Amino acid sequence: MASELVAMIYQTLVEIWQALKEPNIWIRIGLSAILLLMLIGLSLWQRTNLESKLVWSFLRGFLQVVLFGSFLTVIFGIQKIWMQFLILLFMSAFAAFTNYQSYHYPKVLLIGLLAITASTMFIMSIVIFSGAIFAAIPNLPFKIEGIIPYPPQGEFVIPMGSMVISSAMRMSGIALERAKSDIIKSRGKIEAALALGDSPKNAVKTILKDSYKASLLPTINRVATLGIVSLPGLMSGMIIGGVPPIEAAVYQVVIFLMLLSAAFIASITTNMLFTKQFFTKREQINLVFLNELAQLEQKKAEERKNRQEKRRSWWRRKKQTEENQK
Amino acid sequence: MVAMTLDNENSESIFSVQDVSFKIGSIQILSHITIEINKHKITGIIGPSGSGKSTFLRLLNNLISPTTGKIFFNGQDIAEIPPTLLRKQIGLVQQRPYLFEGTVKENLLYGPKIWGIDYSEDDLLHLLDKVALPHEFLERDIEGLSGGEQQRVSLARSLANEPQVLLLDEPTSSLDVISEEIIESTLKRLSEERQVKVIIVTHSLEQTERLTEQLLFLKGGQLVETAPTEEFFTQYRNDEIRSFFKKKEEN
Ligand SMILES: Nc1ncnc2c1ncn2[C@@H]1O[C@H](COP(=O)(O)OP(=O)(O)OP(=O)(O)O)[C@@H](O)[C@H]1O
Ligand SMILES: [Mg+2]
Repeated sequence: MASELVAMIYQTLVEIWQALKEPNIWIRIGLSAILLLMLIGLSLWQRTNLESKLVWSFLRGFLQVVLFGSFLTVIFGIQKIWMQFLILLFMSAFAAFTNYQSYHYPKVLLIGLLAITASTMFIMSIVIFSGAIFAAIPNLPFKIEGIIPYPPQGEFVIPMGSMVISSAMRMSGIALERAKSDIIKSRGKIEAALALGDSPKNAVKTILKDSYKASLLPTINRVATLGIVSLPGLMSGMIIGGVPPIEAAVYQVVIFLMLLSAAFIASITTNMLFTKQFFTKREQINLVFLNELAQLEQKKAEERKNRQEKRRSWWRRKKQTEENQK
Repeated sequence: MVAMTLDNENSESIFSVQDVSFKIGSIQILSHITIEINKHKITGIIGPSGSGKSTFLRLLNNLISPTTGKIFFNGQDIAEIPPTLLRKQIGLVQQRPYLFEGTVKENLLYGPKIWGIDYSEDDLLHLLDKVALPHEFLERDIEGLSGGEQQRVSLARSLANEPQVLLLDEPTSSLDVISEEIIESTLKRLSEERQVKVIIVTHSLEQTERLTEQLLFLKGGQLVETAPTEEFFTQYRNDEIRSFFKKKEEN
């Protein structure tokens, strides 16, 4: 296993080295460097003070893209299904952690992890194993491949999975934010429903039904304008790569369906798990939890203020020194 | 579920509140309240703003739980009654009417839908009569209702659930005299004909005189006095109550 991995990494580095020998790459890099120089010139002219940042970001970005881009070919080449799932799992965990970093609500790491992995695994299983079912049926008149050709190749599974994961991640985050603000805003209405003998689950559903709509509409609209307004990268890429347009179009529609399902499953899971915390066992609004949220919010606001203050004082000092120099 | 009919004929009082305190964080909102609220009577709760009247009502239908102490409903500890079942029996009309988006009709049917109570169009119109709302309000969207109209819809919504006990938090605070009169007679009828127990928070002393048989006086989170309503007005036994009523009369 380990030696296999080392071999793969070595292979990748060799490939990068080979590619760098190709003169046209250097010509392209050189031409882009001219654009970069022009940017630096503009920046100097307008005294934006961004020059060093510009150079540094581009160098870093270039290196990252070369390295990871090359590893992508390794990942795309993975044939073993369990390894594909492992990579998806790792990506899901990373997505959940990213969500956690931007929200920091209690239990959000766990909720995000569950919501994102659940939706990703569910949908990718359908994608991967739809072919397996047909493969198991003997004597078919022709080979039926399923949603993607079976056995699944990394080059299909990983990019599809990454799209599904980022869709789930985004929706899980939106669901968190909406649930939080809607429940706090509609606390009186929720209590009115509870006072009529409604369950918390149902009371929240009454409140949140619009929130699903708001978060899913953009994706639905993208489907509706497919081919005219939105020319998604995947489809264009496939057509450029020589795949017949019809086949590429079918893939694109399937992908949108996958993204929407992932989004829906992730927001439902997130809502169910997250909204639970707003209620006590006695089906009351959980005042302790609301308090915790309010304190978090306050802390965040303070941090934001501090950061602004720092930036302002930095500017003031800078101006001061400039004036002194004059 | 049969055991949960919440009717224990042996117990004298409908609510037995035993040494109940309520805190939010370190803020003491109610302290050591002990009171028996008896059956078949309209009970009034009065007291200055911020004295804990609304909080007390919310405790009674378990929208909040006491920090310490116990509350019994028909002899049963309410902490042991399934909350939704408890709240079906004990309706609460909040101080501010929080209506659900949609029409008045949808609001009225919210509770009955949960509990499988059938309502005909006639029943709904009858419900509107009870709270002094014209019939054409049934199909109105709640968007654009006046404060007083919202208040009446909120009351009708609780009535639609056919509760055994009605907790009312200043239900007529923004109504005209005529609507107030209609609602008061509805409450009287409910308590006399249907044996619905009513507990009403009010700032109107006239209303307590017209409606209630028993009065609780809260101040600073404490139950300062409880007595039959007549006694409250003939002999103010407590200095604090006396000064409270004096100020009221001056206004
Ligand atoms: N969630 C809360 N957080 C902090 N304090 C609260 C909260 N809820 C109520 N209080 C405080 O508890 C006290 C009692 O409030 P409550 O609403 O029960 O008073 P009230 O007697 O109904 O007043 P009013 O006549 O104005 O309606 C008030 O001082 C109020 O500020
Ligand atoms: Mg109040």
